[in-house]
Amino acid sequence: MLNTTLNEGFTIFPTLKRIPGVALMLFACMLVFSILNADFLSVPNLMNIGVQSTILLMISLPMTLVIMAEGIDMSIGALLTFCGVIAAYFLALTHNLPLAICMAILVGLVIGIVNGAIIVYLNMPPFVVTLGMLGICQSLALIVTDGQTISDVGNTIGLAYTGNFLGIPLPIYFAIVSYVVIHILLYHTRFGTYVFAIGGNRDALKLAGVRVNLHHIAIYALSGMMAGLASILLTARMNSGHPTAAIGMEFDAIAAVIVGGTSFEKGNGWLFGTFLGVITVGVLRNGLNLIGVQSSIQVASIGLLVLVALLLDSFKSKA
Amino acid sequence: MTLPILELRSISKFFPGIVALDKVSFDVYSGEVHMLLGENGAGKSTLMKVLCGAYQADGGEIYHQGQPVQIHHPGDARNLGIAVIFQEFSLVPYLNIAQNIFLGREYSGSIPGTLDHSRMHQEAKHWLRVLSLDIDTHTLVHTLGVAQQQMVEIAKALSQDAKILVMDEPTAALSDRETTLLFEMIRKLQSEGVAIIYISHRMAEVFSMGDRITVLRDGKQVGSADPKTTTPDELVQMMVGRRVDMAYARNFQSQPGRVALKLSHLCSENGIEDISLEVREGEIVGLAGLVGAGRTEVARATFGVDKVSSGTVEIFGKNRTGEPFQSVDMGLALIPESRKTEGLALIRSVEENIILSGLNKIFPSSWINNRKVQQISEDLIRKLRIATPSGKQSTQLLSGGNQQKIVIGKWLTTDSKIFIFDEPTRGIDVGAKAEIFALIYKLVEDGAAVLMISSELSEIVNVCDKAYVMREGKISGLLEKEALNEENILKLGMTDA
Repeated sequence: MLNTTLNEGFTIFPTLKRIPGVALMLFACMLVFSILNADFLSVPNLMNIGVQSTILLMISLPMTLVIMAEGIDMSIGALLTFCGVIAAYFLALTHNLPLAICMAILVGLVIGIVNGAIIVYLNMPPFVVTLGMLGICQSLALIVTDGQTISDVGNTIGLAYTGNFLGIPLPIYFAIVSYVVIHILLYHTRFGTYVFAIGGNRDALKLAGVRVNLHHIAIYALSGMMAGLASILLTARMNSGHPTAAIGMEFDAIAAVIVGGTSFEKGNGWLFGTFLGVITVGVLRNGLNLIGVQSSIQVASIGLLVLVALLLDSFKSKA
Repeated sequence: MTLPILELRSISKFFPGIVALDKVSFDVYSGEVHMLLGENGAGKSTLMKVLCGAYQADGGEIYHQGQPVQIHHPGDARNLGIAVIFQEFSLVPYLNIAQNIFLGREYSGSIPGTLDHSRMHQEAKHWLRVLSLDIDTHTLVHTLGVAQQQMVEIAKALSQDAKILVMDEPTAALSDRETTLLFEMIRKLQSEGVAIIYISHRMAEVFSMGDRITVLRDGKQVGSADPKTTTPDELVQMMVGRRVDMAYARNFQSQPGRVALKLSHLCSENGIEDISLEVREGEIVGLAGLVGAGRTEVARATFGVDKVSSGTVEIFGKNRTGEPFQSVDMGLALIPESRKTEGLALIRSVEENIILSGLNKIFPSSWINNRKVQQISEDLIRKLRIATPSGKQSTQLLSGGNQQKIVIGKWLTTDSKIFIFDEPTRGIDVGAKAEIFALIYKLVEDGAAVLMISSELSEIVNVCDKAYVMREGKISGLLEKEALNEENILKLGMTDA
């Protein structure tokens, strides 16, 4: 029944069919929340959504590439947490911010490479490998912090999250730079072309004489490195290192990628869709907060979002 | 005297249990079109994969202009100026035409690390124009039709400025107009001194395009021929050879009974068109043709795995509709081509596999009685002579022949009356083959109807009562009695023969 009404909708408004499901859903969410709450569409709140979505965006962008290459990175939430803890640990130890940042990024990069190398060279399923790494990172975060919060991180790192430049919060710059860099990587470099090819036809790439394994590992390395970078914002946001800070965030990231229209098959991906997916998740969380919905229900709403997005796209392809 | 641009000397390639190439020697000169001919599984594609670096030869040498060379990976082949037009498309679905054409040899842009998209599109456009293909180079490849994808594949090979061009049945997916264009291109390249190795199944092509013909059979080089002095019949003779492998000849007369399976004008979205055939009780009917002719697709549509778009499937006069389980209820059994992926749960035991299809019939109440399972499976293991230490053995540890017996055994518990065998002896050694056929004969003697798909001509000829031959998704002929021989099957199976 839903099927027929939707189909009719698409015949009455043929242009509707060409608009990706994620954009329709973002629009619908924003419409509903702006009616329910007058503050929703205010500039400070919209800015707030942007700031709150930055960390998710920074891990969802590389997740798009990972999923395009017919993989998945389940470890990303735990890795983000672990890198955040590393940053806090080195801050507390040395009060040297550049060193802390470098260590966090380095740890992310190394674990990403380990993920990729196991997947590619040992030919193991990405889900299993990164699930194992999830457990390891979670544990390492607890070991480094001894289960406590590291709060002796000084005052400078917090500025990365709360600071402004030209009236725009600093995280927004992080988001813009991350998006632009990964967009260029995906659409304007060899590496990006090979990401499409690894998911779409790995044999063809091999026959084209490309060193496929290295590029394949690089995708996971990128994912890990971005988690390291995002962990700076995470530690800045909490102004401390917390051993369970971003546990479970892989769920939001994978959801955002799927909602954005990237498929698990054939190397079919869309980076801007992931951006829209992240914003939709952010809008949903922010809007539900504003109208006073409990956070326990918010997770369910994101699950629902994924299902509706997939249904919408499958109806549209049939219509 | 000029040297061949590329020469292979006694190349061998082994796969577990199979000699794919047995000391094959082959050469090609600049400006020559060398045709490579052979039945399915004769080793043509393996030879090509050795050439392009996808496989490593296990023996033999390769010479390039008289110099010994090694082709370890595809990059080496490219450096020697070898370009390949693959039969299975080597295209990336969500990249556009230009990106596909330049995959692995992208032009760098002015900013380090970036790509020069406009130059790639410009050159891609040039190659599409050469091939009279009027498509935007920004089009994603997965939106193209099969023929257009094949043309992109050809453009990809041409753009590599190759000195040696290898084509694996390039015209299989092309229309006449596109084929003519391709042939003009080949003539032009030939006059420019490009050496061309051309694998084909089409006799007309072989004679109109070829300067020299080499025939492979069972991984061996049977001989070479000059198209000017050879006739198509002689070539077919060479491809078929004479076989002494008669271990499975039948020793009984069939007594055809009622019509068990009848397909009328069956069409399916999987590419088969207007298929009409009949199989009677107590009869073995063959379905022959080249790989890709649509034989497996007929089996799938008949069984209800692929959707039937028009036409009917009748089982003992009743229309078959719906899902595969309904086909099973009506007495249809399918023994699929790839037993490892479609026929068996490999890590499960012999017992569990052999009982699987019959669970409904044996245990209508859904409660499973383990002692009965053991009884039935032990009975079948004995009857089928499956060589396994016990019913608890995991099926992946058994040989191909024993695995196939299990797949057949699965259907013996279901009271099936019509059996469709898709390549029942693929990858099975001669001894086990004879046993598999003995099983099939037993079924037929007990009144079952059998439709057997096989790429091995001698099997079709020696085992079947009659055989339908398929070509390009359609039935191209029915062979019975004396007319059922290997030559006729090949002729009907190949285009323009």
